[in-house]
Amino acid sequence: MMTLFIKSGGVLVITAVLGIFFFILFQIWPLFMPAQVSELKTVSLPNHSFSLLGVDEWGARPFLVEPDGRMLTVDYETGAVSEVPIDFGEPLQIVSAALNKREQMIIVGTADGRFAIVAPGYESEESDGRQVVTIHPSAEKVTPIGLPGVPILDIAYGDSGSSKLVVALQANGNNRQVSAAIFERKRSLMGQGKEEAVGVFDLTSLIPGRASKVLVPGTGDSVIVVTEDGKVSYLLLEDEEFKLIQTFAPFEDIPGAHIQAATFIFGDVSICFASDSGANRVFSLYYPKGGAERFFGKTHDFPSLGTMPSFLISTLRNKAFLLGGGSELSLRYSTTESIRWEGKMPYNVVNAAISGKYHRLVVLDSTNKLHFFKIDDPHADSSLKALFSKIWYEGAPEPKWEWQSTGGSDDFEPKFSLVPLIFGTFKGTFYAMLFALPIALLAALYTSQFLDPRFRSIVKPTMEIMASLPSVVLGFLGAIYIAPIIEKEIPSFILLAVGLPLVAAITGFFWSRLPIRYRKLIHPGWEWIVFVPLLLVSSWIFFQLGSVLEAIAFVVTDPATGQKTADFGAWWTATTGNSFDQRNSVVVGFMMGFAIIPIIFTIADDALSNIPAQLITASMACGASRWQTAVRVVLPTASPGIFSAIMIGLGRAVGETMIVVMATGNTPITEWNIFSGMRTLSANIAVELPEAPHHSTLYRTLFLGALVLFVFTFVFNTFAEILRHRLRERFKTI
Amino acid sequence: MPAVLSEPVRSHFPTTVNTSTAGRPDFISIQNFSFFYGAKQALFDISLDIPERQVTAFIGPSGCGKSTLLRNLNRMNELIDGISHSGDIIIHDHSIYDPLIEVISLRKRVGMVFQKSNPFPKSIYENVVYPLRVAGQNAKNVLDETVERSLKGAALWDEAKDRLHESALSLSGGQMQRLCIARAIANRPEILLMDEPCSALDPIATVKVEELIQELKSEFTIVIVTHNMQQATRCSDKTAFFYLGKLIEFDVTSKIFSNPAQKQTEDYITGRFG
Ligand SMILES: Nc1ncnc2c1ncn2[C@@H]1O[C@H](COP(=O)(O)OP(=O)(O)OP(=O)(O)O)[C@@H](O)[C@H]1O
Ligand SMILES: [Mg+2]
Repeated sequence: MMTLFIKSGGVLVITAVLGIFFFILFQIWPLFMPAQVSELKTVSLPNHSFSLLGVDEWGARPFLVEPDGRMLTVDYETGAVSEVPIDFGEPLQIVSAALNKREQMIIVGTADGRFAIVAPGYESEESDGRQVVTIHPSAEKVTPIGLPGVPILDIAYGDSGSSKLVVALQANGNNRQVSAAIFERKRSLMGQGKEEAVGVFDLTSLIPGRASKVLVPGTGDSVIVVTEDGKVSYLLLEDEEFKLIQTFAPFEDIPGAHIQAATFIFGDVSICFASDSGANRVFSLYYPKGGAERFFGKTHDFPSLGTMPSFLISTLRNKAFLLGGGSELSLRYSTTESIRWEGKMPYNVVNAAISGKYHRLVVLDSTNKLHFFKIDDPHADSSLKALFSKIWYEGAPEPKWEWQSTGGSDDFEPKFSLVPLIFGTFKGTFYAMLFALPIALLAALYTSQFLDPRFRSIVKPTMEIMASLPSVVLGFLGAIYIAPIIEKEIPSFILLAVGLPLVAAITGFFWSRLPIRYRKLIHPGWEWIVFVPLLLVSSWIFFQLGSVLEAIAFVVTDPATGQKTADFGAWWTATTGNSFDQRNSVVVGFMMGFAIIPIIFTIADDALSNIPAQLITASMACGASRWQTAVRVVLPTASPGIFSAIMIGLGRAVGETMIVVMATGNTPITEWNIFSGMRTLSANIAVELPEAPHHSTLYRTLFLGALVLFVFTFVFNTFAEILRHRLRERFKTI
Repeated sequence: MPAVLSEPVRSHFPTTVNTSTAGRPDFISIQNFSFFYGAKQALFDISLDIPERQVTAFIGPSGCGKSTLLRNLNRMNELIDGISHSGDIIIHDHSIYDPLIEVISLRKRVGMVFQKSNPFPKSIYENVVYPLRVAGQNAKNVLDETVERSLKGAALWDEAKDRLHESALSLSGGQMQRLCIARAIANRPEILLMDEPCSALDPIATVKVEELIQELKSEFTIVIVTHNMQQATRCSDKTAFFYLGKLIEFDVTSKIFSNPAQKQTEDYITGRFG
């Protein structure tokens, strides 16, 4: 009966643990899943030629622009194809077109050297419980640009809000001309006012080569020109003037490579290029280390598509892009350099568009069929690499491990590297153990082997009460009270850390040399009566000497005024180049040490006291002193227990949450600097989970953090248990 | 902190220079010795002279205080809280309670073997050299030489010489007890105290230890506590009989066992009580 009870209890515990494990596993599983892309529907289009393919936010009504200025749209629900005229006010022959993704606008270039900006005018309404999307395109005025009457081969525009930058590419004899025009909306008393060209530029002379493609970022402050020899020029608009900043060849190591396709990645800081052979790279703008100007540099390199690309499109939601050519489609994610999905189609792909919500894809094939796909990729930005490897984020000068889950702007990219958190966990544990281990173990050795049993029976329960102190209280004390003291008195604490053990060792040495006639005055086990006051007095002295030390050793000279100040924090920053924060590892080590000292102490003390008395008697009978007995017999024999104590302390430190949340700045940094903070896995969960949207990447990544923590403790404990068994085997007593 | 704990020997217990072969009849002199565990008196006014380089046996029924007296000879009882004593114990003209003497130096001169063998969870080698190590002797040749001498002295050399670095706990019970004897004699004490050293051993191992006692006698003054009358007759020169914490009779062993002066002694050795 009893055993059944115990057995079922055990099974219940194991089930619960496994249940938690599987729950966590279930939560994090989607993070590692590739994108699911499945075809929904195919619609045949009339046999026209199209210069642009676009789709609305919901992926319900794709449109195609026809050369005669009409728009062909397809209703996803019904499969109906309809034609909507765009009212340009005159018949136009459209020869080029481009999308401005940020503004959801279309720009078209005409055969006679003019352009027009067209708003698709999507409208969505509920009707009969389903969503109906309609399209009502409206065109702005047709405006000439560049060489009059010459067809526009490529066109692009950006809108900074106050002005528009339009760039057009035209043939000029055998050469190519790149023209730019800036338009500003003049405010008038009559409302909207009209747009006026405030600057017209011929960029041709700035471009080394024959231009084949132009790109303008959404901000409209620069121009990217691709030339036929496979080079890219980056021109910046500064003080109403264009400057060539940089010319680079994305595929310079591939002989004879041409740039077949190029597009800005969402955020307009990176450009994705594809070569005629299918090679695929991403270049990003960043300040090189120490540089004052931003340049493009290669940040990501993808496997080749294997065939000549026919299009390259990016999304409006994340850093994903779709590369297609021949019968291949490849959905890729720029930041993590991963291929989300790849498909070989039974037709040749010509063009594609992805819905603003990144949930639908339309692909046009060479026989003018439009294929609708569903994209299911909720965690496109997540992968093993993103979580654990260095990632080259946009704007960074080098790949980094970074954790930053939320940011200010819309196109902010969350960074989910667990490495800084794992590092922080180890850092916190390390400093806590550094402080707690010597104190707890020596205290346990002293109380169990040397202290008179009468005091031992007071000390031990006191420590046990300490162990039950809520860590919130410790964290609060650490943050509010201890941190400011430590910040001000670092030199004092350095003196204490070095001085106290030294004082104790020296007094101990002299005490042991003291003739027995004086030593006899103190009964064995009562020595603390002498030592405690001594240590208290020397602590006080060391504390007072702190400012003296600071004035001598930690002086910084202000280079500007030449004024000398004694300040440890400033000295530390000036000397080591590392930061000095108020909530730093010393505070955490100290407070967390407080939490784990009682645990390690209690278990170690038990282990040390449970050494068979006969071993101690045997050692004493051999003429060993108490110290020799403690060190040579008791300590090794108790080592399995002490080891357990350390491991349990370690486990507590690794999982400790509240103290770290409160007493550190929670900065996810990757440096051992003792005067900076950290963010641990557990603190990270506590801090971010309340804010994390259900089932978002952040939410799941936090669960992954929990799993990593779980795995750590599991590995630790298993390893500890194995080692403990070995030790126990070795030091088992009869 | 380490401070309190290391106790290098300042005041040494005076060592005997062993010149005479005969040995002193009062090498250990117990004088009017009473002993208390707290309020409980365990020994009552014991006076007893133990001769040098001979075997003295303590016999008596369980709980009569044999172990208590033995453990007082190297002050091992002081590990217990709340003990007190009166009277004196004098080894070679020096009181072991001299306040200026480190108890450690006394224990270095008085080796002890316990009823239950208690090897350290270390190798055979490290067990034997332990008394030397704690005395600060770490020279390899000295230690090697000591291991061989002590193990030979404890008749364990042949069995253990090929496994010196194996754990002592891999030995048999009898071997462990002989290892403990080897450890007790490693640092060449003058006195060897044995508290029922054979009680946990089989007859063959017992014989070995008894023979060993006979050999060690030439070098050490041996005090042995035993419940085995034959053992006392076989290997001791003098025998002391205790009863309820009092010394009843002390004489040459053959006299005690053939013609005891006290009725209680006779009752005990003939097995009428105890
Ligand atoms: N640590 C102790 N605390 C209190 N009383 C003790 C302690 N050790 C022994 N005694 C008591 O002292 C008396 C003598 O004990 P001791 O161990 O010397 O007997 P012994 O003659 O060796 O007996 P045995 O033959 O059973 O070993 C006993 O009554 C015992 O209960
Ligand atoms: Mg006894």
